[in-house]
Amino acid sequence: MELYKFLPKTNCKKCGKPTCMAFSLDLLQGKVKVDDCPPLLEPKYKKQYDALKELLGSEEGQQKELKINIDDKLCDGCGICVTVCPVNARYCPSSLSGKAPDYPPEKHQLFQVIGGKCELLKIEYCRRLEAGGRERECRVCETYCPREAVKIEYV
Amino acid sequence: MKRFTCSGCSLLCDDIIVQSDGLFISEVMGACLKGKERFDQVSAKNRITSPLIRKDGELKEVSWDEATKKAIEIIKNSSIPLLYGFSNVSCEAQDVGIKLAQKINGFIDSNASICQGKILNKAKSLGINLTTITEIINKGDLIILWGANPAETVPRLLNKVLFSRGKFRMTGREIKTLVIVDPIKTASFRVMGVRDLPLIIEPNKDIDLIRMLKEECCSVDSIPSQGVAGIDKNDLKRLLLHLTGAENGVIILGQGVIQPHPDYNLVEELLELLQMINERQEKGRISLLLMGGHFNMAGFDHVALSSFGVSGKLEFKHNQLIKTDDTLVSKIEKENFDSSIIVGTDPISHLPHSLSSKIAKKPLILIDNHHTATSHIAEVVLPTAITGIESGGLAYRLDQVPIELNKIINPSNNLPSDEELLNQLYRLINQGGSE
Amino acid sequence: MEFLLNSMRKINNDQVKEHAFGTEQSLEERLAICFINPKDFEKLKLVSSLHLKISNKEKDVIVNVEKDDNVPEGTVVMPVSIWSNRLSVVQNNELLYKNIAVKIEATSEPIMKFKEIINELLVKK
Ligand code: SF4
Ligand code: SF4
Ligand code: SF4
Ligand code: SF4
Repeated sequence: MELYKFLPKTNCKKCGKPTCMAFSLDLLQGKVKVDDCPPLLEPKYKKQYDALKELLGSEEGQQKELKINIDDKLCDGCGICVTVCPVNARYCPSSLSGKAPDYPPEKHQLFQVIGGKCELLKIEYCRRLEAGGRERECRVCETYCPREAVKIEYV
Repeated sequence: MKRFTCSGCSLLCDDIIVQSDGLFISEVMGACLKGKERFDQVSAKNRITSPLIRKDGELKEVSWDEATKKAIEIIKNSSIPLLYGFSNVSCEAQDVGIKLAQKINGFIDSNASICQGKILNKAKSLGINLTTITEIINKGDLIILWGANPAETVPRLLNKVLFSRGKFRMTGREIKTLVIVDPIKTASFRVMGVRDLPLIIEPNKDIDLIRMLKEECCSVDSIPSQGVAGIDKNDLKRLLLHLTGAENGVIILGQGVIQPHPDYNLVEELLELLQMINERQEKGRISLLLMGGHFNMAGFDHVALSSFGVSGKLEFKHNQLIKTDDTLVSKIEKENFDSSIIVGTDPISHLPHSLSSKIAKKPLILIDNHHTATSHIAEVVLPTAITGIESGGLAYRLDQVPIELNKIINPSNNLPSDEELLNQLYRLINQGGSE
Repeated sequence: MEFLLNSMRKINNDQVKEHAFGTEQSLEERLAICFINPKDFEKLKLVSSLHLKISNKEKDVIVNVEKDDNVPEGTVVMPVSIWSNRLSVVQNNELLYKNIAVKIEATSEPIMKFKEIINELLVKK
């Protein structure tokens, strides 16, 4: 609950949420942005505002653009990245044995395996862009690829 | 959208989407590279689409009549034919293969016998459970790879057993601990996380590890302080805790542990260790999964069991099943055969030179869909449709679950399926007998 | 030098694949090959133009050699193929594909060709 600490904690509802606690939860999940809380923009909260921005890895500060590269020569289409990516997991449908990637891909799905190779469909929903807090540090696709084909870079 | 089964390896992934117009395959989704290549085999450059006979040392295209006649001639002139392969064909074809062996008094065996047949029998006698992929996905918490390297052979296995999120726990990788025992740091090691246990063992020292675990089972205190077989004491402690604490562990055995040793039987000792752990465990158990290569590796045993009540090799005399101590290897080694019918495999590449050179000496009929090292030395080559793509049938997955394969496109050149071709040979021999 | 030979399947050094989609040249490049630890590579005074002659009581074979950090010292890894199987052994009626005792030495002789092996087998007919 690190994020909550830095909110104004007045439960003023200006953000459209019933409480600051609710706002902080949504903030963590990347559903709302720091700027969606009007009081925070006031000068007296400047310090907290900056702290929050830093915690969440502010987009303005990050001039560089996220790139996820998949090396076609190395990839053998094992599909581990597809299964392990938490975004895929959240939106993919349940199957008899848990959650499985969908074909044709669900609209949030980041990876799919086609023609024996992994393909990055879109990057918008990657947790490194969307999520807050520690979730933003996600790089499991890179960590677990057995052929070391996935590289997360900022260029 | 209809999903097809991939016949690229024994995992038989049944979630593959194939786009095709009935003649060509345009897109394969969900299959790994190995599976995709299986689909590409349809039009590979080494595809054989018409029958071949060796004439003056060269393979020449001939008519089906000429080729089958030649094959029948070889079979008729042979009194102890050897039938081998059958793990890249459907169970239906395996069944006809056994019928044919009975008819021609042959010795028949599948690729599985040189790999895993024995382990299954031993496991059954010790009461060790086999487990299924679904069960590991849903309930598994400990996965041990011993001498197995799925990242190179069964590409999606780790994805399924380790990463998939199960139905009951809804978590995947997080709750599963992976242990790998191997002398070489293989590609499978790369999926390890911080809580996992990589054990690089000194070559040929597996037995020391197993014996130590057997002796010290459940008593962490008496592990030798210098470790065992090059494995550190603390890692051994962790291994013991995992083994004895797992609720639903599975040990996946690969080629590495099936290797013979002059003085002991590694697999047997390993299975006894599992039995010991399972007996002492109160709430959990460790079960077994065998990793095969060819897509219907497991099928032959099931077919042989259901038709003749024995698993593995079969030998026939006077059209009756006889008891035999011979194995495929001893048969070839003693040159106790005078022709061979090879179905869907490449023994010239797979077997040690001392054996392949003996196979090469005798007339060889190859039933396969591709040129391989074996086709280079065959007398007759009878091409067939590719099972799982150009013809259907039943196959057993590596966890012994039967899975239906479908025909997706028509075979090139109207090639017969393995089953049809073997049936035809059987009929031709039958007719000849009554003449 | 005395080594232990381990033959194993590798997805990028796969004979089925090379027979189907490669050429005879790529078959030789990918399968007439072995991997050893970089330290052994130095000990053998290997350079990239040299090949490795691996032999045991069965046969011998000359193949390309590459460095691989993951292979422990004293071990040589080969993909399963008609090349590696010149060295695999029948032991007590079972097949030994791993931990086979072999001798290895650097050589400038060319690698063994696929056709050579096949012709050797055909001659025996
Ligand atoms: S807008 Fe800001 S101050 Fe108001 S409830 Fe939301 S978080 Fe609290
Ligand atoms: S995990 Fe790596 S090898 Fe597997 S599909 Fe993804 S990129 Fe390819
Ligand atoms: S970094 Fe995480 S969220 Fe982003 S693609 Fe990789 S696994 Fe998915
Ligand atoms: S793991 Fe095996 S069955 Fe599954 S897609 Fe790959 S080759 Fe096909």
